[in-house]
Amino acid sequence: MNWLLGAVLAALSLPAAASDVYVVCNPGVSLQAGDMLEIFVGEKSFAGSARLAPADNSAAQAAFLEKVMKLDARKYATLWTKKSFRDGANPPPVRATDAEAIAYVRQTPGGCSYVLRAPAAGVIVVAKY
Amino acid sequence: MRRFAINLVGSRLGAALLLGLLIGTMPSRALGAERAATIKELQQKLDQSLKAIQALTQRVRDLEARQSGAPVAASPATGESGASSAPEPTRLEAVEQQLEQLETANASRSNDETGMPLHGFADVGAGTHNPINPDLKGFFVGNLDFYLTPRLSDRGRALFEMNTEVGSDGAVGVDLERAQIGYQLADQATLWLGRFHSPYGYVNTALHHGAWINNSVRRPGFLQFEDNGGIVPAHTVGLWLTGAPRIGSGKLQYDAYVGNSQQIVDGVLDMRNAGNAHGNLIVGGRLGYLFNAGAAEGLTLGVHAFSAHIGDNAVPADMTRVLSYGGYAVYDTEQWENIAELYLFDNEDLSGATGTHHSHAGFVQLGYRASWGVPYARYEITSLDQADNYFAAQTTGYSYHRSALGLRFDLSADAAVKLELADTQLTDRSRDQYSEGLMQYAIRF
Repeated sequence: MNWLLGAVLAALSLPAAASDVYVVCNPGVSLQAGDMLEIFVGEKSFAGSARLAPADNSAAQAAFLEKVMKLDARKYATLWTKKSFRDGANPPPVRATDAEAIAYVRQTPGGCSYVLRAPAAGVIVVAKY
Repeated sequence: MRRFAINLVGSRLGAALLLGLLIGTMPSRALGAERAATIKELQQKLDQSLKAIQALTQRVRDLEARQSGAPVAASPATGESGASSAPEPTRLEAVEQQLEQLETANASRSNDETGMPLHGFADVGAGTHNPINPDLKGFFVGNLDFYLTPRLSDRGRALFEMNTEVGSDGAVGVDLERAQIGYQLADQATLWLGRFHSPYGYVNTALHHGAWINNSVRRPGFLQFEDNGGIVPAHTVGLWLTGAPRIGSGKLQYDAYVGNSQQIVDGVLDMRNAGNAHGNLIVGGRLGYLFNAGAAEGLTLGVHAFSAHIGDNAVPADMTRVLSYGGYAVYDTEQWENIAELYLFDNEDLSGATGTHHSHAGFVQLGYRASWGVPYARYEITSLDQADNYFAAQTTGYSYHRSALGLRFDLSADAAVKLELADTQLTDRSRDQYSEGLMQYAIRF
């Protein structure tokens, strides 16, 4: 039985959730995983006629930038500085936690964000990285 | 139901025994401190679950007793479950509901972004010559540039840029460099109205007034802003349609614009913010393709052109139909920032009989993004026909060529120091030659 308890304990102690990034959106928009890069750099603002409203989640941003955007935080900030100065676009607002990000996506039409734990109902998971 | 209740109690005892046996038979050496803590946490959770099961079991018994008419035994006040009159699942649901309400309220508070962030750039420096006016030497204040991008409705956009700058005469001036309000028709089309940077080449719409954005100390001389010696209209007041639809693996970048024809006032191009007296327009466009894949990834190739009737304030005034066209290439990757732009001018004298004049200007800049900084080299050259009223009327409408070597060090994510050595040779109005050593400290905020 030791192996059983060991397996349970190992499963509990593994940071499995922390290594995954779930990109979530409001159920009112239809998007593909491949759209995320353009959405979070301000190149894609609409899904059909719906205005997209991405939000960064500082609790998951490092993992998201590494896995999805292939950028570090400094380059991401620089990119938005230039984008904003050149095109008048605004960077995504920032939420502090998974819970805040999920709540934002739930109640914002066109809202998209990313979290580290599999979300409950009320949002759609567009991609898992 | 009674059997179910007994089974619940039995399973409680069984689980407790099972856990006890498991923990008892596990060698303590095999468990690290982390696992011991986890086991303790599991025990606590198990205890809580057992208490909940006990409370539920008691409640089932009570219900069964009520159904059979037997007297109801007093519920044992055991732990948390016993302390509450509500069943455990109901309490959990209530807690979840409260948590969700808190999250929603918090998100609502976060969405209430009534303030508008103010961002900008600033730079100061020193040089053997002032980078704008070579007649001055020493320390200099560059630009203090603020920009605002208020959040509007779904499709609305706005950009306002206020720049406090020291002109070539040393006087401090404040300019509303950009004041453009737009409507985003789609991802591939935004229509702007107001004062914007004329879309030609790459530098004029990519680098703007923020020195920090630019890897080099300054823009090429002939592409400087009007009040810093530029000889091409850097700003237009009018209407601008821009976008970049995906075509193949890259993007087709297009711009089309129309606005007030500029005027040369006291030797400097003026973009006529309030309109011009004759109603003439500048009409122009730019078309480029950005490669996003393959060996050419990061390369943009494009063409640009504009035409305008531009006069001056001489008496009698001169009027020139300016026709400028050319091309540009940019190679912008993780390692390289290489830029080349070419401008050809076929300007027709409309007020005299000097005919059409041909001139050209261009530059090549190579920059390498090393881990320690960005070294760059630039060569720029203009050959401007001095019989052309358009150039002759401009204070800086002379021909020159300049070679420059420079270096950018990023001190942090928002501060950079740049150094440049340059040699400039004037080639028509005068034959002056001068060398410069420049240092610039530029920040963003």
